[in-house]
Amino acid sequence: MAAQSVTTRVPGDVTSADAIVQTRGLTKHYGAIVAVDNLNLTVRRGEIYGFLGPNGAGKTTTLRMLLGLIRPTSGTSVVAGAAPGSPESLARIGAIVETPAFYPYMSGYDNLRLLAIYCGVPLKRVGAALDQVELTPRARHKFSTYSMGMKQRLGIAAALIKEPELLILDEPTNGLDPQGMADVRNLIIELGKGDRTVLVSSHLLGEVEQMCTMIGVIQKGKFVAEGTIDELRGAATLTVRADPAETAMRVLSDEVGADSVRVLADGAFSLKVDLKRTAELNRKLVSSGADVTELRASERSLEDVFIELTGAEAGL
Amino acid sequence: MIRAFIGEMFKTVRRPAVWVCIVVLLAVAVTIGYAIPWLIYSHPPSGSSQGLPPGTSLADFKVTLYPPNFVRLTLQQWSVLGGVFALIVGVLLQGSEYGWATIKTLYIQRSGRLAMLAGKVGALAVVVLVLVLALFAVDAAASTFIALIEGQSLSYPDATTTAKALAAMYLIFGFWSLLGLVLATLFRQSAMAIGLGLAYALVIEALIFGLTASLAPNVVNPIRQWFPLTNATWLANSFGQARIRGFQTATPAPYADPTHDVFVLGVYVLAFAVIAAWQLRRRDVTS
Repeated sequence: MAAQSVTTRVPGDVTSADAIVQTRGLTKHYGAIVAVDNLNLTVRRGEIYGFLGPNGAGKTTTLRMLLGLIRPTSGTSVVAGAAPGSPESLARIGAIVETPAFYPYMSGYDNLRLLAIYCGVPLKRVGAALDQVELTPRARHKFSTYSMGMKQRLGIAAALIKEPELLILDEPTNGLDPQGMADVRNLIIELGKGDRTVLVSSHLLGEVEQMCTMIGVIQKGKFVAEGTIDELRGAATLTVRADPAETAMRVLSDEVGADSVRVLADGAFSLKVDLKRTAELNRKLVSSGADVTELRASERSLEDVFIELTGAEAGL
Repeated sequence: MIRAFIGEMFKTVRRPAVWVCIVVLLAVAVTIGYAIPWLIYSHPPSGSSQGLPPGTSLADFKVTLYPPNFVRLTLQQWSVLGGVFALIVGVLLQGSEYGWATIKTLYIQRSGRLAMLAGKVGALAVVVLVLVLALFAVDAAASTFIALIEGQSLSYPDATTTAKALAAMYLIFGFWSLLGLVLATLFRQSAMAIGLGLAYALVIEALIFGLTASLAPNVVNPIRQWFPLTNATWLANSFGQARIRGFQTATPAPYADPTHDVFVLGVYVLAFAVIAAWQLRRRDVTS
């Protein structure tokens, strides 16, 4: 597994003013089980940060620690400028943790009114939040009659009611049909525009790929990689097949350096090279007397990276 | 904390289960406390005078249903049985938060955990007050109705006695409701909390002391005086017994000092609140 080295942001990379979430050595043990292991997570203001990992990787435990629902065994965190779970921190955070939980005997509207009372925000925010998730037509119906998609949207409305600086969304598309997933995805992209930060956990690669500007991959409680999608995918490669192979090897080594040329099992060459040089390399090979039979650019998908890092199938 | 209290009241008054508890207790109080006894005393089955003092009949018991006795009857009948309803309300208010996983929704709002608990205890105090006032009100109404039917004069206990009885019942129901709340907090669910609460109310304390008191009263009674049901019953009994023709007034129990009863119940109420707060503060929310 994990052929790629772990590259996460180091504390010095991001100033305190830039970071809205910063953890240092965050660890959670449940007896002998290590759910989260020495996690250094930094989320910058304005990012849509994808927290990616297979089921049981420690995503939810980490998010619960950031919200003060779970106490860490060791390590420290600052979330929205204060200690996790403190009123100062919570006042600036909106969150969904796993399945949204509301009072089934009350309507969606009353559930949000209740949260508005708890948070001390004006009741007019309730209507605005419901409009934002397009739930107004069913707002007066009991929560117990809602579909999974409606419950999820009510959860997002609840997270928005405080107009938070930071949204923490744990698997927000869980249980949704494809249309519902697309709607929530688009909503999150909209919400992430401007200064608002979104920290969204998921085990669905496509979802993260479409929404997030930064991705952290966690496996067995540890960070295994962090970066933009392009950084995680790494450089593209160029596959070359030419005859005679010795001539091709010499030309390619001269042009891109021997370290960047790898001979594959089937005799083809894999080159780490800027793909803009493809035509130039083709000309050099032909002019040196090599017959080029294959010239193909290949890019690793995020799924390839994810499987390589976690040993898990994407979306499982 | 004020926001938490208002929020708790907002959802409590909208919760049908809370109203069902109140209405069922009131219906049971009128039915079992007044309607059925009145029917039995008015139409006694044949041979029902057996075992009663000479010259006494079941009809003489009607006096217990008249307004002068409604305060002591309410206290003595419902300090335990009515307390069970208060226990259920306490369990419902806290246990359902775990059942619906709304505890995590609560704790990621603005207030801290202790403020949320204080709000919940405040709302519970209001519901219990409503329960106590409503119970005394329907019993007063039922006794008035029976007195009118029987052509009896309408005289009621004095205001001081009534106020003391309301306060005593409020303390007793407060104990029960907080027992429910703390059990629901400890077990993080409603079913176990209600089951254990009922077992304690109806079986455990009564059975233990019922069996052992006859064997070694000198050992058991000093211990018993620190147990909640005993003190709740003694506090209720401290308001005296109804005078029924042909019967002696009951002798007070050996430790039936109302001050002692209030102190013991008050300690339990405080202890339950502290235990609930301690548990809520230290525990992870994983539901």
